[in-house]
Amino acid sequence: MPDYSRSGMAAQSLTGLPVQGKGRRGRKLATTQGAARAADRSKLFDEAFLKKLEYLHMVSRKVFTGNLRAERRTRKVGSGIEFADHRTYSRGDDFRYIDWNLYGRLDKLLLRLFEEEEDLYIYILVDCSDSMAIGNPLPKMHYAMQIGAALTYVGLANLDRVAIIPFSDHLIGRLPPARGKNRIFRVFDFLRTHEIGGKTQLAECMKDFVTQNKRRGLAVLISDFYDPQGFIDGINTLRYNRFEPFVMQTYDLREAKPHLHGDLSLVDCETGETREVTVSRALLEAYEREHEKYCKDLELFCTGRAVPFFRTHTQIPFDELVLKIFRSGGFLR
Amino acid sequence: MNFPTPIPLTQFAYAAAAAGALTVIAYLLKIRRRRFEVPFSTLWARVLEQRDANVLWRQLKRILSLLLMLAILFVVFFAALNPTVGGLPPSAKSVVILIDTSASMKTSDAKSQRQRDVDLMSDDEVEALIAEAQRRKKTPLRVPSEQAREFARAILRDETSTEGTRIAAAKDAAKGVIDSMGGADVAMIMRVDSQATPLSRFDSDGPMLRRVVDGLKASDTPADLHRALAAAADALHDRQNPMIILISDGAYTDQQLASVSWDDPATAGKPAEASAGSGSAAPVIRDEIAARRKSYEQRSLATVNLHGIDVRYVPVGTRADNVGIVAFNVRRYVSNKAAYEVFIEVENFGPNVAHRQLTLYNGDSAIDVQPITLEGWKEDADGNRTPGQKIRRIYPGLSGGTDHRLRASLRPVDGEGGSDPFPLDDEAFALLPDRKKQKVLLVTADNLYLEGAMLVYDNIEVFKITPEEYAAKPDEMLAEVHVVVFDDYTPPEIPPAPVHAIYFHPTGPSSPIKIAKEIAHPPRIDAIAEEHPVMRWVQLSDVNFDRSQVFALDKDRGEASLASTVRNVVIAAKREGGRKLLCFGFPLSGTDLTLRVAFPLLLVNSLDWFASDDADLVTTYATGARLRVPLDGVTGVTEAVVIGPDGRKVWAAVSESSASFVAAEIGFHEIKAYTPPAEGQIEVRVFPDADEEPLAMREIAANLSSPEESDIQPASELRLGGAAEALKAPEKFEVATKRQFWTLLLAGLLILLGIEWITYHRRITV
Repeated sequence: MPDYSRSGMAAQSLTGLPVQGKGRRGRKLATTQGAARAADRSKLFDEAFLKKLEYLHMVSRKVFTGNLRAERRTRKVGSGIEFADHRTYSRGDDFRYIDWNLYGRLDKLLLRLFEEEEDLYIYILVDCSDSMAIGNPLPKMHYAMQIGAALTYVGLANLDRVAIIPFSDHLIGRLPPARGKNRIFRVFDFLRTHEIGGKTQLAECMKDFVTQNKRRGLAVLISDFYDPQGFIDGINTLRYNRFEPFVMQTYDLREAKPHLHGDLSLVDCETGETREVTVSRALLEAYEREHEKYCKDLELFCTGRAVPFFRTHTQIPFDELVLKIFRSGGFLR
Repeated sequence: MNFPTPIPLTQFAYAAAAAGALTVIAYLLKIRRRRFEVPFSTLWARVLEQRDANVLWRQLKRILSLLLMLAILFVVFFAALNPTVGGLPPSAKSVVILIDTSASMKTSDAKSQRQRDVDLMSDDEVEALIAEAQRRKKTPLRVPSEQAREFARAILRDETSTEGTRIAAAKDAAKGVIDSMGGADVAMIMRVDSQATPLSRFDSDGPMLRRVVDGLKASDTPADLHRALAAAADALHDRQNPMIILISDGAYTDQQLASVSWDDPATAGKPAEASAGSGSAAPVIRDEIAARRKSYEQRSLATVNLHGIDVRYVPVGTRADNVGIVAFNVRRYVSNKAAYEVFIEVENFGPNVAHRQLTLYNGDSAIDVQPITLEGWKEDADGNRTPGQKIRRIYPGLSGGTDHRLRASLRPVDGEGGSDPFPLDDEAFALLPDRKKQKVLLVTADNLYLEGAMLVYDNIEVFKITPEEYAAKPDEMLAEVHVVVFDDYTPPEIPPAPVHAIYFHPTGPSSPIKIAKEIAHPPRIDAIAEEHPVMRWVQLSDVNFDRSQVFALDKDRGEASLASTVRNVVIAAKREGGRKLLCFGFPLSGTDLTLRVAFPLLLVNSLDWFASDDADLVTTYATGARLRVPLDGVTGVTEAVVIGPDGRKVWAAVSESSASFVAAEIGFHEIKAYTPPAEGQIEVRVFPDADEEPLAMREIAANLSSPEESDIQPASELRLGGAAEALKAPEKFEVATKRQFWTLLLAGLLILLGIEWITYHRRITV
């Protein structure tokens, strides 16, 4: 870690870059240079990324060969061609659907019911708070956007309707649900240009989300889950409102194992709170255990409620992560 | 425990306080926290909650770091105080050891040492000797061949083995004094010759003092005891138990021995009280201040007050037999510059008959050799001593010789009374002024007085032309001419250097010295510059003029008045670099100067001045004395180079056209003044190359010329200031133990630094 100057001068973040501003306890810092880097998303979705997306799409199709188009199926009974169920004939029903074979056997009039083919709504919720701006060499936010874009592409290619909703302490804009692969470039533009920054308030944002979005579907939550109020309320809000949460926690390796020593004044990048600490080896080990416990608590919460959970750090290439997701079957059915 | 530090404790305390404050400030800066951004401080808060119980311990550990730094600072300052256990015993002394390094200390008492004689060496042996000295870097790289033997003699004088000499005995005695010093005694070594030079500060470091003593060498100069005692007394001012130990052979003049006072300066000059009822008519001085002033005036300012100082004497030397040259001079005859006469005086300072061979050399050629015998001194039954025999030799009418350097040499002879323990006074040197035949060009219509006056001087070659002939081809006329005389004619251009010029009645703006006005029938000359070489022996007070130019002098341009009438300058001289000019304001046709003796004398003086030829007795200089050597009227030069007999160069200050320096060696010295840098040019102080032409050059001869030094009989006793008792030998010093702790403190300091480094980097104290 490079040397940095004393108190009163520039501080430093886990990105290795100095922190601007004049933070004391309780005062939020100005935009960090890490946040400035995170804001620079011009090269996020380049040619190489597009090639990887296409590859992921091919893999997703190969793995799930034989599925019908618009392959999400609901259990809703409708006008599909797949037999779903029988019900008793009532006056006014269409007698073309009477199952005459069963009538011959049971001497009862029963209607044949078929499955309704319906699009699945996928909501990609990307955490764009200040804590996601940290990460070296790639800010977590950029990593999350790449994952979100990849999943979006797969969904669009499968003719699902995909929406992108960034959030921090509030929902920051919204890319409405859309179908078709050709929509991916709008997704890229949206991800490049929307606002970023703010604190992490998961519970409030999920409440707003479920209120604004009536069509239920899959809610892919990509965040570091560094919320002082915790993650439970936010995920439960999704569950209780009949969304299917899909949790992906991203973190930077140096958040889990920071390289710190000596007398430091720790500054929270979102709240600006400072905390003076003398970092020793024992303290570092204690912090690492605490971080691991926090992540483990999240994992246990999700797995205990059948919520698909993935935890990844920014060193893992996004395409590997997406393939892993595919193989687990949590995203594609 | 005491703290013998030379720094006052108050200043030390201020320095320690300032260093402590700086240390605390540095520490505060050191512990200031670095700012570090984290994404989720909640996790850190959870971790730190568990550690709040240890806050006090962490703060204490941090204070430990500050304490370590302050402890290190304390050790540093404590060590600087040089704490010493043992205390200074009341008898601890401060000693100045005066070691006589004058010429007489070169006397060899152990055996008669026959010095290698350069005169008897072949050229190859001389070259080998010089090459050996060059190899040991004791001579300049280039030695002119004509000065090879002179260099060789200087080398031998410098390298004569000191074994058995008085300086060796003095050094042994000094080391004995140093070895006998107690642990608390401190000593300073001071050499005594024509100067008094401290060679160390007061110190108790015996090995260091011994090394200083080992480096001593005897010089060629006589001793100035008065100066040495004054310097020693000043050095011992306010010191505990001051003592002076003089190690010498006692070769001092009576005046030097008498220039010491033992009176208490505090009580000297107190008003004398008339005793009651004595009826004495002695006056009572009631005003104490006046009494002190009177006492001060009565006492000689040259005395050294040694009140309260214990002075001891360690005699060295045994032999007393010596014959030396005490005077050696040479001069040219004024009327016949080709001839010269030499004066030599030799004296026997020993008690026995002495036989020597006296040789006179011109360069390396012996022009006279004669054996001499001198009787020793005699002492009658009453103790009255008749001095030893003194021989004077005058060598008149000497002529010829190719070298202007003369040397007289006393050579020992075999047999009894033929040895000489003190060779330094066996040689003497003198210089013969150069003869320069000058070509003089007379530019005159016709002037029998002028032409006739030129006939007086046989050292010139005279040519005569008319002003018209000169005006036609001035450059051609001035070729190979040294001096040009313009008789009532002023050329449009001043003759260029190095041609010198005399103007009689210059006129117009072409005059070399600006003309203020012309006066008719000026009064007689009432002021002449007698110190100027041109005006030497010249009387002009009765000379008449019918008219004369009056010159307006510019002293910044080197113009000087030689004669004036009622403050009107009528004769002036000017020096411009290498050219000299003389202006006589009156025409020769309008004065009766041409009928006076002064006229040819003026011309001769002028020509001699142009040739830098001093017809006076060229006296030799004594070593050890501060010499002021005139440099032929150079201006604008502040320093000159002095090249000694062995080729070593030193700088000499120049003021009022004279170089000032102390000749430390016998032999020939060259003084060269070079052109100063132009205005605005940076002066680089390096010795000029041998090829560079000097602005002025002067050569002098330096000899010992000190009967006191040649009288090598050692004094077994010395009495200073007319004291009744002779100086005693030093007694054994009291041994005292003294222990210094600075080495232990230094070790402790290193340990503390190591502890601080380890605790910091192991994060124990941070």
